[in-house]
Amino acid sequence: MKGLIELLRVPSLLTIQDAGRKGYRKLGVPVSGFMDDYSARIANYLVGNPGNAPLLEFLLAGPVVRFNASAVFAVVGDVEVRLNGAPIDPWTSHWAKRGDVLEVGTLRSGLYGYIAFAGGIKCEKLLGSCSAYPRAKLGRPLKAGDRLSLGYALLTGREGRYLPKELRPDYSGNEREIRVVLGPNLEHFSEEGIETFLSETYTVTPESDRMGYRLDGPAIEHSSLGADIVTEPLLPGAVQVPANGKPIVMMRDAQTTGGYAKIAAVVSADLHLLAQSRPGAKVRFKAVEVEEAQKLLRKREKTIEAIRAFLEEKMRAYKVKVSGKEFTAFAGKVK
Amino acid sequence: MKPELKPAGDSALLVSFGETIDEEVNEKVHALAKRLEQARFEWLVEVVPAYSSLAVIYDPTLVGFEEVKRAVEGIRVTSERFEGRLIEIPVVYGSSYGPDIEFVANYNGLSVDDIIEIHSKPVYRVYFLGFLPGFAYLGGMDERIATPRLEKPRLKVPAGSVGIAGKQTGIYPLESPGGWRLIGRTPLRLFNPAKEPPTLLQPGDRVKFVPIEESEFREIYLEEWGEGVD
Repeated sequence: MKGLIELLRVPSLLTIQDAGRKGYRKLGVPVSGFMDDYSARIANYLVGNPGNAPLLEFLLAGPVVRFNASAVFAVVGDVEVRLNGAPIDPWTSHWAKRGDVLEVGTLRSGLYGYIAFAGGIKCEKLLGSCSAYPRAKLGRPLKAGDRLSLGYALLTGREGRYLPKELRPDYSGNEREIRVVLGPNLEHFSEEGIETFLSETYTVTPESDRMGYRLDGPAIEHSSLGADIVTEPLLPGAVQVPANGKPIVMMRDAQTTGGYAKIAAVVSADLHLLAQSRPGAKVRFKAVEVEEAQKLLRKREKTIEAIRAFLEEKMRAYKVKVSGKEFTAFAGKVK
Repeated sequence: MKPELKPAGDSALLVSFGETIDEEVNEKVHALAKRLEQARFEWLVEVVPAYSSLAVIYDPTLVGFEEVKRAVEGIRVTSERFEGRLIEIPVVYGSSYGPDIEFVANYNGLSVDDIIEIHSKPVYRVYFLGFLPGFAYLGGMDERIATPRLEKPRLKVPAGSVGIAGKQTGIYPLESPGGWRLIGRTPLRLFNPAKEPPTLLQPGDRVKFVPIEESEFREIYLEEWGEGVD
């Protein structure tokens, strides 16, 4: 069978994800999809796929995979990768032939890694998406012995694409600044509470998963209106604060509505940074206006687009030094 | 009443008619949701209604907050009625299907038959769906049968279980952990991803519970799920 790959070992949560489910949130179906869309899209571009193609997302430790047919793949993450026992580079597309065994190690930094295959993983779309949401039996976590088929793709020319280190997102370091747009339930918080949220440091706790990240730190004070609201829509990035004052940041598998007051929402351009923060990581929140947040996202989209063009060799990347600081500049034409 | 429009992050605008649980306000929410969907704005991703609020989710690479705000402000929904369908939901009350029904009866100083009668009498309103795929927030339960949640939630509640939590009643669309007092179970499938739409209930629908016998439950269950119960 063409494009068949077999999972030999699955040490931790491994799921198929794509860009997520759209249009079903009013029926209570979460959006799901890539926890780190930045890395996942680059993984897809490395093997010549559209950015939203279904791929493998692993939590912390990657799987061991056997190829039962030729394929082109890329592993994305700060991780050791071996093909038939020999070390190979992550952030690079490689050719695998029938019988080859790919071993993906444990991430040195970050929390989620990705394995993309040229053609994408073939899967049954449920409600328009392949993203696993096991709570509603929309897909399931993968296990050893599972076999995956790949979509058809011409493999020639798709291997050997490489993203230089300076263009990769950096998830090392234990402290991050995460930007947020305040609201929409600010009236449920005291002025001191908002001040606490914006000035103190919060720690990601082990009670964090694809649904939400629970943070620990100084309690955020509510106003006399209290922590409970009449249930409202809830989106990934929303920062809910229940009565104990400890914030919970909703992630991709968040339920679509919620009854705790929301002090803020993480900006779309930064949500992947939080997603990649391990338990123990320190987070500080900085407020920006909604217009600024949208500018940041558009800038980020341009960067991802430039990276895609670079990987498809429509652009070249140069290192530029400006007053002692090094930047990466792209030259060429996108589209 | 003029709603408040505010950002919920950089990809959604929250329309809020005030924090209230009110049928007329909820009708406005659904009417506005429908109008927005019909307007086919290219930047509109989807809308998510709740009791008295609506999230307008948009693509911020295509449009800014102010433009979305103006577009929403331009939609008039003042006197519109949103009339949902009436869905009958068959329920076996009591026994192993509703293990907490005696507790609910004792707690409220009523008999089990009273609970069944009071619970199956009203026409409930689906204010919105949330919490789990296909889970309907129903309004209209008689407060005489209100009962607090379990102190220790069950690890596994079967799909279709009908429960009471405080002044609310609801149906578990999926097998999941849960702390509601279970009074019965429906054989209908509230969430089926193979169907379009995947949920039995839609926002704005009206619901009537119809008591049935265990034999009927088994028949309908087999039809709905393609397999026998348990």
